[in-house]
Amino acid sequence: MREGFDNVEWLARTRAEGDVEAWLALVPYARRIGVSAVSDDPQGEGLLFRLDPREGNVGNVLLPALHGGVVAAFMETAATLDLMLATRAPRLPRIVDISIDYLRTARVVPTLARCSLLREGRRMGNVRVCAWQESEAVPVATARLHFVLGDPAEAGA
Amino acid sequence: MTHGQTPSDADWRRALTRFVTAITHTRELGLEVLEVTPEVTTMRLPWCDDLLGDTARGLVHGGVLTMLLDTACGSAVLPALPAPEICPTLDLRVDHFRPGVAGRAILAEARVIRVTESVVFTEGILWQEAGRPLARGIGNFVRLGPRNTPDGFAEALFAEEDDHA
Repeated sequence: MREGFDNVEWLARTRAEGDVEAWLALVPYARRIGVSAVSDDPQGEGLLFRLDPREGNVGNVLLPALHGGVVAAFMETAATLDLMLATRAPRLPRIVDISIDYLRTARVVPTLARCSLLREGRRMGNVRVCAWQESEAVPVATARLHFVLGDPAEAGA
Repeated sequence: MTHGQTPSDADWRRALTRFVTAITHTRELGLEVLEVTPEVTTMRLPWCDDLLGDTARGLVHGGVLTMLLDTACGSAVLPALPAPEICPTLDLRVDHFRPGVAGRAILAEARVIRVTESVVFTEGILWQEAGRPLARGIGNFVRLGPRNTPDGFAEALFAEEDDHA
């Protein structure tokens, strides 16, 4: 089967299997910055995403700290993939806007993110993302995003 | 630039080139500074396949646009200040007008709207084809002030020019 978000059967199958890694394989920028899905959340409260603390993600060499834009790209990736799993039916999200608040310096250590789908309408979805390093209670950034929820059958044309 | 002189636009272009070259992420992506004035900074991100967010459809990852706006707006802050200060991003809002497509460089123009005692307000716009913007960003940056800016930050930005002066 041809892999691709615009292939309806492939999307439905990977979604049913919760195969987020298969999706990430088709997102080169997410691979470059080192985004992965963490399956075994000890609290059992859904999927977590992880950003690898790699050298190429550094935005400030003096501190050193992660690039804020890379943290935002990580959170957008997390929101998109989480949304693709969480919707009632298979959807292809297309970002409309993102608003991100930087709360603390993100150090060059693993960063985790958790998403919540606050609203799933017929056309629009609203996702909130929280990112942290040492403890979920001490977030480094929060973001909210709007997506258009596309029909995968139309994207494949 | 010689001591005591106000840096020219060309001095600033070299200084911001040093600045984005010191950022590991943008150095590795080959980000270029095209033009700098006290009000507007223009940059160019050359194409590479790692910028894709959807291989099958050949679309740019939205996060690349956020990263580029953060970098361009954050850089534009420096020439707008009385003296260079470290200014981390407080918050950033990005509106996606149309998806970016594979194979073309992405251009960024960032503008400082207002400088206050504690915050610098900026706006940025991105495009691949003139007149067809991909995204708009609104970024606010916190002024940490001279006290929290490492000694020699300004000198480091202009060091090479001093050597040649």
